Amino acid sequence: MDKSYPDFSMMPNRIGLANFADNPLSLSWHDSAWIPVLSMDNVMDYFSERSNPFFDRTCNNEIVKMQRLSPDQLNNMTGLEYVLLHVQAPILYVIRKQHRHSPTQATPIADYYIIAGTIYQAPDVASVLNSRMLSCVHHLQASFDEASSFSRYHPSKGYSWDFKSQRGADKAKPKEEKPREETSSLFQRQRVDMLLGDLIKKFPLPTQPLPKAPQTVPTKNEPENGASDDKTEIKQEKIKPPPEKKPRLN
Amino acid sequence: MSSKLKRYEKIEFLGEGQFATVYKARDVKTEAIVAVKKIKLGSRVDAQDGINRTALREIKILQELDHKNLMGLLDVFGHMSNVSLVFDFMDTDLEVIIKDNTIILTTANIKSYIIQTLQGLEYLHMNWILHRDLKPNNLLVNSNGVLKIGDFGLAKLYGSPNRLNTHQVVTRWYRAPELLFGAKQYSVCIDMWAVGCILAELLLRLPFLPGESDLDQLTRIFQVFGNPTEENWPGLKMLSDYIEFKPFAPVPLKHIFTAAGDDLLDVISGLLVLNPLERTNCTETLQKSFFSNKPAPTYGPKLPLPQNIRKLKDLEKPSLKRKLLESAEGGTLSKRLLF
Repeated sequence: MDKSYPDFSMMPNRIGLANFADNPLSLSWHDSAWIPVLSMDNVMDYFSERSNPFFDRTCNNEIVKMQRLSPDQLNNMTGLEYVLLHVQAPILYVIRKQHRHSPTQATPIADYYIIAGTIYQAPDVASVLNSRMLSCVHHLQASFDEASSFSRYHPSKGYSWDFKSQRGADKAKPKEEKPREETSSLFQRQRVDMLLGDLIKKFPLPTQPLPKAPQTVPTKNEPENGASDDKTEIKQEKIKPPPEKKPRLN
Repeated sequence: MSSKLKRYEKIEFLGEGQFATVYKARDVKTEAIVAVKKIKLGSRVDAQDGINRTALREIKILQELDHKNLMGLLDVFGHMSNVSLVFDFMDTDLEVIIKDNTIILTTANIKSYIIQTLQGLEYLHMNWILHRDLKPNNLLVNSNGVLKIGDFGLAKLYGSPNRLNTHQVVTRWYRAPELLFGAKQYSVCIDMWAVGCILAELLLRLPFLPGESDLDQLTRIFQVFGNPTEENWPGLKMLSDYIEFKPFAPVPLKHIFTAAGDDLLDVISGLLVLNPLERTNCTETLQKSFFSNKPAPTYGPKLPLPQNIRKLKDLEKPSLKRKLLESAEGGTLSKRLLF
């Protein structure tokens, strides 16, 4: 899923902003007042909130509600309706939008999933494939652009590769790689920081009379770094709960 | 006269109003089912004045009209000092349909009812007649889904520049604000307001503005539409019964009719306008995009019927073939009988 997000964000560059804004797949909606009380019984009411962009208020559900009829009547109507398809309380609800032809026959139009209170439209296979292929092609294109920038032409030698003169550009690239490392292995970085800290304690920097004061500064900095890392860890733990809740449910 | 008395065989008693008793009867001559409205004589004092005024109005107006969405006056006959009017037989009315919770009124169904009402009313207005008592109870529906406007007891010719009319017309819940403020000169706009209220009632399945008194009625109107001012309703303060109300903020119609599409809200907001001159008339309303947009209005025989009539219909019609024959027969008969 993480990979699909950059893919979507790439779409506006290729397809155009107007299309991107209209695309329901790039939308999400939530109402924080509802999230703590969300349950199987009220999730449809939550979905039918007026400001939810995924809810078509001319649907049969709203007609039944406006006319104060019994919800059982929905099956006898034809046209657009929403049904609760799947429940994995309290974290996941799936709602289906479908066109009903008869009490026994209905054609699905779209699925929406409510995960931790936020509503998303489930993408169709075409959109997923489209988006994956787009990102694939984009990366290929980028690599070709990159490769062609190293090619050189000389009237006597013809075409050749020249990687040395592009070092300036190479230096710029590691900068791009660094953030990737940071986001990918916080745990590893912390361990290394800790080990380095231990090593510095064991083998203090070559002592000179003057640098004693600066020496205390780095040692202060290191714990501070450690402390700030602790904070992010807590944040991560805060983000983690969903996976923790799942085993409870199972 | 006596031959006419024999022509209509009483089948059953249907109902009783203030001025008349209604029976279901069979026309021996044509075998059609009709409704016979026998006007009550009333007290001796009333009888001295001659024939009842509402009956006279109904006879006078209906004899000049012929439209598929207006009640057809088939015959009039007298017996002793009684007068009886013979009408097309109608199975039910919109009030019954609205109150039947087993019925779902989809947008297509509502569109069908409102189109028929507006077409009947358009014809009426084009002939310079105001109905002045439109309400779901007076919109009659037969088992083929044909809606006819009935009860012309309060109907009147309009358009004379200086004639004063009474403002005590129209059942209160459907009464336009200018009538409640005592307007004595009015036009088609009072019927249009009533149509707006009926449309709202079809959507909500409850009376939209059920006022308990004339003042309460105005309060309820302003609670929804906000208070009128000289700016949005010029001449308002010159109305004889005008009084100032405590201010209300208007409520967006979208919040009341939650399942209504924008095209339908446009129809409602054209009909339910405080200033009578800004209300759309039948022709303008029928031209709104709601009536040409999807879904198409439900085809008459497919419109929902109240439970009791549905059962009867099922009993009467064992096979589809017979059903088709019957409906075809009924259609031609009523046409032939109209005039």
